Amino acid sequence: MLGAAIPFYILSFLVLFFAYKTITSPNPIHCALHLAITMINLAFIFFGLNSPFIGGVQLVVYAGAVMVLFVMVLMLFDLKTEVRAFSRGLFSSFLKVASSGFLAGILIVGVLMSTDMLDVTSDSVGVGVKATSSTDIALLLFNQYVFAFEVLGLLLLLVAVGAVAVSRIPGGTHAND
Amino acid sequence: MNEQLLLGLLVVLPFLGFLFNGIRFTSKNYKLAGTVASTASGLCFLISLTLVAKLIGMPEGERVITSHFFDWFLAGDFSVSASFLLDPINAVMILVITGVGTLIHIFSIGYISHDERPSKYFAYLNLFLMNMLILVLGDNLLVMFVGWEGVGLCSYLLIGFWFSDPEKAAAGMKAFITNRIGDAGFLLGIFMLFLSFGTVTFSEIATRLPETAEMMWTGPITLACLFLFIGATGKSAQIPLYVWLPDAMAGPTPVSALIHAATMVTAGVYMIVRMSDVFVLAPLVMNVIAIIGALTALGAATIGMTQWDIKKILAYSTVSQLGYMFLAVGVGAFIPAMFHLMTHAFFKALMFLGSGSVIHAMADEQDVRKMGGLKKYMPITHFTFLLGWLAIIGAPPLAGFFSKDEILWYSFASPAGHWSLWVAGVIAAGCTAFYMTRLMCLTFWGESRVPKEVHPHESPVSMTFPLIVLGVLSVVGGWIGIPHVLGAIIPGHPPNVLEHWLEPVVRMLKPEHASAAVEFALMGISLSVAGISAYFAYDFYLVHKDRPTMVTKKLGGLYSLVSDKYRIDEFYFGRIINPLIDLSKGLWLYIDINFIDKMTYLASDMVKGSGQFLRSLQNGNLQQYALYISLGVVVTITYILMGS
Amino acid sequence: MPMTEAFLNVGLNHYLILSALLFTMGMIGVLMRKNVIVILMGIELMLNAVNLSFISFSSYSGNLNGQIMVFFVMTIAAAEAAVGLALAVAIYKRYKEINIRFFEQLRG
Repeated sequence: MLGAAIPFYILSFLVLFFAYKTITSPNPIHCALHLAITMINLAFIFFGLNSPFIGGVQLVVYAGAVMVLFVMVLMLFDLKTEVRAFSRGLFSSFLKVASSGFLAGILIVGVLMSTDMLDVTSDSVGVGVKATSSTDIALLLFNQYVFAFEVLGLLLLLVAVGAVAVSRIPGGTHAND
Repeated sequence: MNEQLLLGLLVVLPFLGFLFNGIRFTSKNYKLAGTVASTASGLCFLISLTLVAKLIGMPEGERVITSHFFDWFLAGDFSVSASFLLDPINAVMILVITGVGTLIHIFSIGYISHDERPSKYFAYLNLFLMNMLILVLGDNLLVMFVGWEGVGLCSYLLIGFWFSDPEKAAAGMKAFITNRIGDAGFLLGIFMLFLSFGTVTFSEIATRLPETAEMMWTGPITLACLFLFIGATGKSAQIPLYVWLPDAMAGPTPVSALIHAATMVTAGVYMIVRMSDVFVLAPLVMNVIAIIGALTALGAATIGMTQWDIKKILAYSTVSQLGYMFLAVGVGAFIPAMFHLMTHAFFKALMFLGSGSVIHAMADEQDVRKMGGLKKYMPITHFTFLLGWLAIIGAPPLAGFFSKDEILWYSFASPAGHWSLWVAGVIAAGCTAFYMTRLMCLTFWGESRVPKEVHPHESPVSMTFPLIVLGVLSVVGGWIGIPHVLGAIIPGHPPNVLEHWLEPVVRMLKPEHASAAVEFALMGISLSVAGISAYFAYDFYLVHKDRPTMVTKKLGGLYSLVSDKYRIDEFYFGRIINPLIDLSKGLWLYIDINFIDKMTYLASDMVKGSGQFLRSLQNGNLQQYALYISLGVVVTITYILMGS
Repeated sequence: MPMTEAFLNVGLNHYLILSALLFTMGMIGVLMRKNVIVILMGIELMLNAVNLSFISFSSYSGNLNGQIMVFFVMTIAAAEAAVGLALAVAIYKRYKEINIRFFEQLRG
């Protein structure tokens, strides 16, 4: 049983390790790369969870498109390793870490406390044996959630226009545009 | 015209006069101002006569005219209406006020002719008249209080009429502040009465009195009466609050005649007579009033013997006569008190106006040592003053004789009286006769000590006419209250009209062991005491002029104590006022600054500090904001987990 | 699929705990880093943590709605990244750096 869970633990370790590297690396480029690795590891976890479509989207959209976007912007700025990567303030830093740690703690405690209440235990996985096909998702998406899907498309359009508009604010190197 | 309208007009007319003169207060046209003010006052007198005639026309025991104007305020069960009440008691008052008031208005026209602000003066006079009428006409204590405060204000304004002189302005302030002390007592008395009876209306208090008396628990009533009496001591210049009245002589002399002799200072007496049903239930307070009255009469009379300022002498005389009135109400002789109030209004107004005439003639000289022999310059003033003198020393059959002797008789024979009160009264009467005779001798008789540059002259008709009228009144005024024992032996048997008039509304404490022989004996004693002391004064100041100095030297410290007015003012300043000032300064410097101010500063600092703190929270640092969000989340989740 | 079974044998709470840890890391990144772009990365981490719990719930209950939600979240995350990066560009143009303290300039 423990042996069967080894891949999960490996992936979990990788996810947490690279997430840690993401938030601690002084160089933003390293951050981005570590984030990309985190994403890819997560995608594998998704595959393991019988969700190949989402896993694929994770790979393509997140690890691919979004991360490329990040890296492109970073390259555009030509950022070096930051001398001071973290915000100032000893007390507030302590508060931030403490509150985050406390949050993690109470979340874990909450999860462990509510294990009994979740009737989805490893024994009852009957449905999950069969991997969900993209057909099922497509059927759901284009029937039940078609309105939300269209709205999302509109949102993306807006974001595209907005992003261009925001980045064209005059000033800096492009002041002469 | 109906009575209600007339009652309203009684107050509205002086107010119109006040408005007329008040608006054009810079005008120097003293004739116009005086005519308008006197007309308003005179019309009031005519209205008063009409109203009193109507009262007389009513059946005995039902002589009441009420006039309800509007509901002043309502608070729960407690309602106060602005309404007037006219009954035999204040009928006497309004006649005196408007009658004497009109004469003094007329007198003022001549007196104030050289002044810079005659319009203002007459405006104040009319305002005073209005407030005095509100005081006596009010049918409940609160309306009375309005008038009570109003006359205090006018008194202040008129005492300090020549406010450019700091001493006179200070006299006005002294009067006002001293009156405030009394007013506080009066207010407390009103509150106590309201607590006891749940109402402040005179008639309702009277109807609720019997039940309260049956309960035999008169503590609150005693306290209320004591407070009301404190109010009366302030307004009517009794010990211990009399000190303002002598200083009030800084005002124009007609004002002294009107406010500080005839009307306002008698408000306390009127108030006690008005509340006599209540006061009778508090025998302890009655005794206090009688004793204070007797002491005031005696003390002020002795001070009066030593003064040199003609107005100061009259002022102490007023205090002394007011003491008589309080002595009278203290022994339950309410009708003699009203009687003496009325006669005193006549002869004291007469003497003040006479002194005004003298001062006017002497170019504002008030020291009797610089007068003398004025008889030949001012025959009318002298003659009327003579009548006033005879009246006040109690020479029969002038007004003062009847009223004073009735008071003395009651103070001896009334159940609340005592022989010692009578003795004090007789000694005071002797002193009165002495200083009044002394005043006459020094001012009008003997050889002239007038400085050469002053040329005394008789006053104009507008000033002598009121003197003559008041002189006549001083003679005949007493004839409406001839005591029964005298009425019985005088041919024609004149009845005691005033007593008959007031009896249905005032319950007196009747003498128990009334004996005509004793009354005659006492009358004889007081008459002879007055006569002897008058003779002594004549002897001292006209025949053997070295005797005053001799006696003064013999008495030494006692004399200087009396002539320093018993050093009451010094005592007040040294023991009460200055310690109070020091205490206030101390409170300010230590308590106020260190404690109260700091408290308020602390409060403001707390607000400021919390504002600073909250401001530092909202510093624009997005990550701080995110921290607040995460802290909120943590707290919320913790709370939820705790709850589950 | 033996591998899938292996994953599903782990138990739902393991995934949830992983998700919580990942979320906390993203949160620390958002709270602590100065660089706006790294902060955006932290946000992406937090979103991914949420996605993970969606997917695990979805798999364990056999309910596909969770996956649809993840799909939407991803789309919006992409949009958010685009806008955020555009803002970063705008900030960089003016200040030659992309420090989060830039936003302190915006307070009134």
